[in-house]
Amino acid sequence: MAAFTVIEHEEIATGGVVSWSETSIAASYDHLLLKVSGRSERSAYADEWVVTLNGSTTTSEYSSTILKAYSATPVSERYATSVRGGFIWPKAPGALALADTFGSLTMWIPNYANTANFKQVLISNAFENDSTTDYRWEVQQIAGLFSSTAAITAIGVTSRSGLGDIAEFSTFTLYGVTGA
Amino acid sequence: MAVIEAIATQYLEADAATVTFGSIPASYEHLQLRASLRSTSGVYAMRLKINLNGDTGTNYSNHNVRGSTSSPTAYAQTGAAYIQTSDGMHGSSLPPGEYASFIMDILDYANTNKNTTCSLMAGSALTHTDNRVQFGSGLWDNTAAITTILFTPNAGSFSRGCEFTLYGLNSA
Repeated sequence: MAAFTVIEHEEIATGGVVSWSETSIAASYDHLLLKVSGRSERSAYADEWVVTLNGSTTTSEYSSTILKAYSATPVSERYATSVRGGFIWPKAPGALALADTFGSLTMWIPNYANTANFKQVLISNAFENDSTTDYRWEVQQIAGLFSSTAAITAIGVTSRSGLGDIAEFSTFTLYGVTGA
Repeated sequence: MAVIEAIATQYLEADAATVTFGSIPASYEHLQLRASLRSTSGVYAMRLKINLNGDTGTNYSNHNVRGSTSSPTAYAQTGAAYIQTSDGMHGSSLPPGEYASFIMDILDYANTNKNTTCSLMAGSALTHTDNRVQFGSGLWDNTAAITTILFTPNAGSFSRGCEFTLYGLNSA
């Protein structure tokens, strides 16, 4: 059996969408891998995206530990809970960033279907732009904990600000990864 | 059809000034490059330079965060002539047999509605104090589909024993 299976692939159509989600994810894989090439329509250099699991917006269920850089001085941050439900916060280029430029997001969810343990995720994210100005670019690694023993059946991505749709041509590819 | 397919592997039986993957088909959704890197230049660590589709103009940007001491660093660069790592590969001042690890993702590489963005991870020099671990992103301000990727060490040549494998990831 192939180790990788495409569960879902979507390219956002003209006009953009408020959010992306995949639901009814089967429990038949060992791990999940999400790859996103994304951009926001928000009138700013970037938009923050909220990544939710199982549709939960319960702030106490999400914690995030972050290493990131948006200037010459990297920073690390730790959030025991989420200000808004979801992991804090991957970013995508906004409408003021270089045209046609999309950020990248890769998220691993190992052992996503187990019902004994909380779920951990690892997110690699880049808000790319042709700029050296602070806050107009960002790279980060996020380790997240979703404090729920429920199997993951849904993943969602939406704008934190609510001020910009996910832009057209953004793509979301969700893989199921199987062990031997 | 497998979701992940190895497009090509290059294992260097002899030192080489550059490594090129050409005629990359547009039939995949994403690309991933995994490499084991070392240079013949007599230093501990150096940059890896990446050019896309033969473009050597100043059309690239780079953003990176790097840990090597108790104080991590970061940099941003525009108008560059290549995508680059912040060091990230070994030189020949390190003991023989030590190669740096490198992974690069290029999402939607064949989508002509998008500039090309690469995410980079690299680690180097594990037995020396001049070590590195880093994560970064590179931008090529061009919407052409990627058909060629050129790798060049910042100095010297790639050492014998370097290995590069390019994978294609399908989305259907």
